[in-house]
Amino acid sequence: MDSLFAKADAIQPLGKKRKAVHSSKSASSSKSTKPSGKDADDHTLSSIVKRTSTPKSLRIPEPSDASQVKKYSHIANKKLRTELVRQSTHNAQAKEMLADAEMLSMGERGMLEVENEMEKTWRVGQSEIASSAGGEAAKGKQEWKLDGGPYKSRYTKNGRHLAIIGKHGHAATFDWQAGTLHTELHLQETCRDITFLHDQSHFAVAQKKYIYIYDRDGVELHCLKSHIEPTRLEFLPYHWLLASVGNAGYLKYQDTSTGQLLVEHRTKLGSPSSMTQNPHNAVIHLGHQNGTVTLWTPNLPHPAVRLLAHMGPVASVSVDPSHEGGRYMATSGGDGTVKVWDCRNWKGAVREWSTRGGSAEVTWSAKGVLAVGSGGSVNTYTSPTIHAPHQDHRQPPLYLTHPIPHRPITSLQFAPFQDILTIGHADGLSSILVPGAGEPNFDSTEADPFENKKSRREREVRGLLEKIQPDLITLDTDFAGSLAPATNLVTQTQATLSGKNVPDVPFAKLPRMERLKVSGKADETEVVSDEDESGDDDDGEKKRASKEEREKRKMRGKGKSLKRYLRKQRKNVIDPTAVAIREKLGKQREQKRKAALAAISGEPMEERKPSALDRFKRAK
Amino acid sequence: MVKISVLQHVPSAHLPTRPGDPTPTSRNLDPLLHPFSRARERTRALNAVKMERMFARPFVASLEGHVDAIECMRMKPGSLSEVVSGSWDGEIIKHDLSTRTKGLTISQAHKGKVSGITYGQNSENVLSCGVDRNVKLWDSEGKALETFTGKTAFNAIDHHFTDPIFATASNTVQIWDETKSTALLNLAHSATTETITSLKFHHSEPSLLGSIGSSRTFTLYDIRSSSPIERQIVMAFQNTAIHFSPLLPTQLLLPSEDHNLYTFDLRYLKAPTEIYKGHVASATCAAYSPTGLEFVSGSWDRTIKIWNVKDAGGPSSNISGGKSRDTYHTKRMQRITAVCFTPDAQHILSASDDGNMRIWKADASKKQGIVTARERAAIEYRKALIGRWKGDREVGKVERRRFLPKSVYQAGKLKRTMVDARKEKEDRRRKHTREGEGKKVAERKKVVVTEQA
Repeated sequence: MDSLFAKADAIQPLGKKRKAVHSSKSASSSKSTKPSGKDADDHTLSSIVKRTSTPKSLRIPEPSDASQVKKYSHIANKKLRTELVRQSTHNAQAKEMLADAEMLSMGERGMLEVENEMEKTWRVGQSEIASSAGGEAAKGKQEWKLDGGPYKSRYTKNGRHLAIIGKHGHAATFDWQAGTLHTELHLQETCRDITFLHDQSHFAVAQKKYIYIYDRDGVELHCLKSHIEPTRLEFLPYHWLLASVGNAGYLKYQDTSTGQLLVEHRTKLGSPSSMTQNPHNAVIHLGHQNGTVTLWTPNLPHPAVRLLAHMGPVASVSVDPSHEGGRYMATSGGDGTVKVWDCRNWKGAVREWSTRGGSAEVTWSAKGVLAVGSGGSVNTYTSPTIHAPHQDHRQPPLYLTHPIPHRPITSLQFAPFQDILTIGHADGLSSILVPGAGEPNFDSTEADPFENKKSRREREVRGLLEKIQPDLITLDTDFAGSLAPATNLVTQTQATLSGKNVPDVPFAKLPRMERLKVSGKADETEVVSDEDESGDDDDGEKKRASKEEREKRKMRGKGKSLKRYLRKQRKNVIDPTAVAIREKLGKQREQKRKAALAAISGEPMEERKPSALDRFKRAK
Repeated sequence: MVKISVLQHVPSAHLPTRPGDPTPTSRNLDPLLHPFSRARERTRALNAVKMERMFARPFVASLEGHVDAIECMRMKPGSLSEVVSGSWDGEIIKHDLSTRTKGLTISQAHKGKVSGITYGQNSENVLSCGVDRNVKLWDSEGKALETFTGKTAFNAIDHHFTDPIFATASNTVQIWDETKSTALLNLAHSATTETITSLKFHHSEPSLLGSIGSSRTFTLYDIRSSSPIERQIVMAFQNTAIHFSPLLPTQLLLPSEDHNLYTFDLRYLKAPTEIYKGHVASATCAAYSPTGLEFVSGSWDRTIKIWNVKDAGGPSSNISGGKSRDTYHTKRMQRITAVCFTPDAQHILSASDDGNMRIWKADASKKQGIVTARERAAIEYRKALIGRWKGDREVGKVERRRFLPKSVYQAGKLKRTMVDARKEKEDRRRKHTREGEGKKVAERKKVVVTEQA
């Protein structure tokens, strides 16, 4: 057999192979310095990969900043490490390509720029903006004078279609860009809200008693009798859920793809005065008569967050879709104030100010322009200043203002992908131009204002296929695909160390992770350090130094005999000596920690035995 | 002077320039415009994995013809369609896979069962051996060209890859020349009483021959040498066949009667490189894929399992080494006696006790026939999605779950209980033995008993 192996020189006995690899490596390195005769011509020695490659233009570029790629050097398993490094390289590449793609996007944001300090943007009137905008954009400034009480409006996700509803039952949907009317209904009863479903082909109206769903041509398709006296409607487009809240204070979710009433939550706070959704995590924000704002998901029977926001009824709530995906929320109350909240930290508003003319309507645009409509005017504020924390209750610098003589203002809606704000009021609707409010580049796979019939159908089917299950609605959207939390299971060794008594689970029946822990093979070095990723600031150097120091500290004491014994001992056996040694080491560690604490606090550490008299001591 | 610009979309830029043109699309990769991207991707992955299971219809066809149980089967070298099989009633049938028709039939080729079959040097000719102590060479018309007579019943036959010689297994291993009526060589020990049940020539080292003996041994021979037995290993259980990997010349595969399959490295025969567990009855046969990245095994429990070879460098699979990638079964299929891959690695053939030969797809959910570029892109995207989300609980559950026949499922459950109980007992026993005595022996170290000199 050995003769056979010897003949086939590719195959060598395992014992010799290691050395052979080393020698060939050194040989190849020496060869690269001076190619000699036959070896230099023999391309089969090296892989063909070096000779053949894809064109440079088609290749995915290597990430320019190598430090962005995580190294995972703490992972011993080579296969796993390679896979993780490959993934992180891929992520870094994707980030760079994203930056490239941003450079390529063509659309330009609208803007309003002043040349010197003395000029103010809020002095610019709508007529001036419209005249200088010209062309298509000037069409955005419109006035619809309508009878039938205060009006509300709602846009589709692509901003192409508009639905309006008057208090006394006048409903209409139309393509406002082409100027074609889809349908016009006179419902002859009180209507409180309107919303499109997944696209312009269906819309839902909150009427006097129930919710009704109509199709594009105004044919009544459904009457949702389980939603009684609805006041507000919201449609969650990625979950296909129609959420409504009624006078009785019940929040109800209806699945519009299956028709099933998913869940109803009793708010116990009476008729809510306002409702909105966070477009980035599908959480419903409700504002109530007693001044609280509650955040709801279909999965919790109680609010995820309850917040006392105002001293009167909460008139309007809106979530900022622009900044970090729903981080800021604006509320306005019956007490005449407008507040901006940071949704990660509810301790007090980021900013608050009072408005004239009672309770206001608020809404954010896709690029973070806040519109506040109160009294006889609509004011807008722009992004960086509105998010900056501010102590005194002054109004932030005004961006634009527009007088509306027809009180009350009942709805404010920014048109997606346009610089247009549509204001619903007692005398109909008026649209004004707010330069810089809209996102200039749309994505055809998500929402396309210019989509044709075929792509609308395609998107509808695709949307149904990708419908997200309602149990994935949470405050933190990133939990899907993240690691499962560690179990609370206590192993034998941990229990003996901590003196707890757990039932004797045999080693073979422990879960794999626990078995690894017992045998000392578990990889517990994994540290997900987010600060490492974002550590591009100047203290990176310091951090690295401290990391080295940490390593050093970790290395110290490695040579101690007990620990060495334990290291050699990590076989799959629960060894009483090993357990005892672990316990002893644990004690030593505890003592060291105490000593360190004592050194910090300056008190001398005295070792004190517990005494029977301790119970008579005065408690400190 | 205030500079004012208002966002406007020019409709002409977003509409097709001429009728019939595709509508221009625009992309914006800003994550704010793509909310719930992770949750949506997970939904897509879940749909993809469900679709994969939905399309998993591995059974292609059944080839009928044999009246009795099929014992052996062989694909014609260099052909994608011809397969020959021998059955227990002594019948030999050639089948054409592409037309699924029966070709040549030789009834009563042997008295009693046909125990082994292979192709001759001229691949039109078929060599068969039987329990009637004969080896016969058949031409393409079904005429017996030659008959080689042995002293005892033959159990297996294999032809050399290049030379016109073949090897037979009976109570000894014999090497024959196609043109001579007596054996050239007698390889086994004259002293042993064991019966040789299976043998195989090596692909890349053609003078190397492996055989399985009935006393739990497997043996490697060099047919050129004067003392031909190179290595003889005694294992804890009886093996049923031996196979050499077409990709890694040093790897050999042994299906065993202890329900497992083992791969060994030829250079280190003290322990297997991997144990493949999953069958609930004796693994009766196995075959490598021509790519060498996977192999198929048939079992007494009426199932076929497909396995990825560990460390062969195949497409990174989500199944860790030692677990089967897929299990095939059907209601009427009985105990499997022979399996093989077609040379294009796309299909698997299985022969079973019920006298039928079955054609299976090697990849259960793969679409057969022409796939358009768009469809292929979609399939690849779905594959990548599954690969990425296989760690997710729901996705992984759908991907891993296979519904088995009730008998197999129950037997598996019982087996698991028994193995667990044995392990637990071992643990407890070790706990109560004196320190240092009850050392744990790795599973792999238990497989090989000894090597015979």
